[in-house]
Amino acid sequence: MSYTYDRDDEDSFTMANFRDHVDRATFDQILEMDEDGEHDFSEPLVFNFFDQAEETFGKMDEALARKDLDTLSQLGHFLKGSSATLGFIKIRDSCQVIQQYGHGQTVDGLSEPNEAVCLGKIKEAIKTLKTDMVDLEKAIKTFFDDAK
Amino acid sequence: MLEDPSYNSVVRWSADGDSFVVLENEKFTKTILPKHFKHSNFASFVRQLNKYDFHKVRHNEESGDTPYGRDAWEFRHPEFRADRKDNLDNIRRKAPAPRKPTQAEDAFPATQQIVVLSESLAATQHQIQALQEQYFELAQTNKVLVNEVVSLQKMVRAQSQVSNELITHLNNIEDRRRNSRHSNHSSHSSHSGQAFHPSTMGLLPDGADEPAPELRRAREILNGVSPDSQADRDLERLSVAYHQNGSPSDSATSSVMFTQPGAPPPMPLVHDPINDPRHMVYPVGQTTGIDPFHSDHIHNIPYSRPLSNPNIMTEAPSQSSPPAKEQFVSLWGSKKPRILLVEDDKTCARIGSKFLSNVDCSVETARNGLEAVDKINHESDRFDLIFMDIIMPHLDGVSATAMIRMVAPRIPIIAMTSNIRQEDIQTYFQYGMNDVLAKPFTRDGMVRILKKHLSYMLKDPQPIGLGADDTNQTAGAPGPGPPHSAGGYGGPGPAGVAMAALAGGGQVKFEQTPIQSPATTSSWHSPSQMPHTSPTIDSSGYMSAQIGSGPGGIVLTPGGTQRPPYANQVVPQVGTPTLGRMPDGVGLGDDRPEKRQRLYGPSQGQYVQ
Repeated sequence: MSYTYDRDDEDSFTMANFRDHVDRATFDQILEMDEDGEHDFSEPLVFNFFDQAEETFGKMDEALARKDLDTLSQLGHFLKGSSATLGFIKIRDSCQVIQQYGHGQTVDGLSEPNEAVCLGKIKEAIKTLKTDMVDLEKAIKTFFDDAK
Repeated sequence: MLEDPSYNSVVRWSADGDSFVVLENEKFTKTILPKHFKHSNFASFVRQLNKYDFHKVRHNEESGDTPYGRDAWEFRHPEFRADRKDNLDNIRRKAPAPRKPTQAEDAFPATQQIVVLSESLAATQHQIQALQEQYFELAQTNKVLVNEVVSLQKMVRAQSQVSNELITHLNNIEDRRRNSRHSNHSSHSSHSGQAFHPSTMGLLPDGADEPAPELRRAREILNGVSPDSQADRDLERLSVAYHQNGSPSDSATSSVMFTQPGAPPPMPLVHDPINDPRHMVYPVGQTTGIDPFHSDHIHNIPYSRPLSNPNIMTEAPSQSSPPAKEQFVSLWGSKKPRILLVEDDKTCARIGSKFLSNVDCSVETARNGLEAVDKINHESDRFDLIFMDIIMPHLDGVSATAMIRMVAPRIPIIAMTSNIRQEDIQTYFQYGMNDVLAKPFTRDGMVRILKKHLSYMLKDPQPIGLGADDTNQTAGAPGPGPPHSAGGYGGPGPAGVAMAALAGGGQVKFEQTPIQSPATTSSWHSPSQMPHTSPTIDSSGYMSAQIGSGPGGIVLTPGGTQRPPYANQVVPQVGTPTLGRMPDGVGLGDDRPEKRQRLYGPSQGQYVQ
């Protein structure tokens, strides 16, 4: 599998994004599950993930509005699992932040009793998460389009 | 009815026509009641009559002048007469409330009611008393439990101290061993090469009759606490759980030390692979000063080389090298493993299923613990292995495992989780899980687990295993602990060889798996070996260690409700082949009692088996 990442400027920008966002070893494992050079497993899988993420974002926004830290933590955990399995490391890291602060802990596992601080961190993380997801989705689309 | 002549002998009007008589109670109940009333119970018939204000006519029974015989019941109602059918409408069901004040007779039921009430009150009081007693009992039990927990915690602390000491001591030995390696190498090279060296090395320090102050101190500490843990048999489960914290290093010690006396020249090849996995797995199994040990076992990789010796294990290469990645003809023998993947996240579930089906397993998924439990309840032996997410809606993976264990005690259950802190992992093991697959999982990680826990299903090992097939099933399937300890205790014999190979293969793979930090890996193993080793710690006396501790361990283990079957299955299997080696252990024990109590205790126990 060899893809040309620098067909034009925009693409190379996207592919830089791709490299930042995606852990290749993990992602390649998924790609290896494809048969006959078609991305008939990985592509729907990844796009399902984007749907799932979109849905989770909605729930996160609601939970954030309610200041429902528990739910935020759960949602963070949930999305962390799938993003990590796919190798989407930036997404995973933001999810980790949400999960931890939802539990009233810093990323290093130290206690953070101040709810306002936690909510602030989570808000920030969700914002990052959303922009990251847009970038990632774009990069992934390019990646799959290139492969065709 | 009363006028029906055919019933005459059973029920009829009285001679005066102002009452009716039931002459034959039984016949009346059987033949007449069912025809005319909803029920066929004489007592309720009488009750109904009473409600309609019929009253039994009392005869002076003492004088015996009952006109219709002793068994007859005569009922009377003021309006109920043979010649006054028009009065029937006046016979109504009593309305108890309004009548009470008017009828003198009602005073009687009222007092009766009071009696009934006070009776039921008494009954309730009894119940309350019983409940109070139960509560008290429970409170007592709880108190005992708490005490036990506290004492166990003490013991755990002591044991980790002990572990420290032992490890220090072992490190010393290890150093000496390495120093002397080369000289030994030459002297024993006639025995098929490397395989033998470790064991030969082992003989050295052990043969040297050195005072082992650390070990002695360790024993003293243990003796100080051990009685507590035996205080309450009912707490076996708890104690089992708590033992887990302390024992691993002890067993590590015993396993490592065991290598030394246990290497009889005739069986060098067999023996070494047997001990090898234990040596490699257990020493890394503690929170304490493990690291030196770990590096040791990395340096001692030659230990595992016997595995790749074609004479012994043809399957070893296939296990230790990762061929899975490249081509996958089929890993399995005649039967494909059936895997249950329990995972709430769709993406992870799809990837996991894909990985598994890609290595030729048939996969079913469950979206939460509840579904998994349902599936197992429905068909408990449907699956060969379960991958279980921990955090899931409806029912988490740990609880699901505990429930599954009730119906399927043997199936390997692998926790899939990103929480790989030691406390978490200990919890998983405590509730009957066999291993941990770190998340995000990889295909290789899954394959490694499959090979390790379903080794008996692999295509390759089977031709070699032969007689060991059964052993593989029991020893290989349950989890990391049993196979290793089995290997450690197993004597020369085909079963022992196969088990060792399996365990060894698993071990080698550990080395190659990047996701698992060595420390984590080790901790996964620690709990499972516990059932075998902890009893030794309990037995304070040296003699009791020799004879009693092993069986004691077997008794204890089932108490750890989650994992009884392993102990039951593994121990007997292992016991037999071990017999051959008994003399070694015994002889050494005689020489060095103070070490032997600590170090060979478990093995002795197995011998007795």
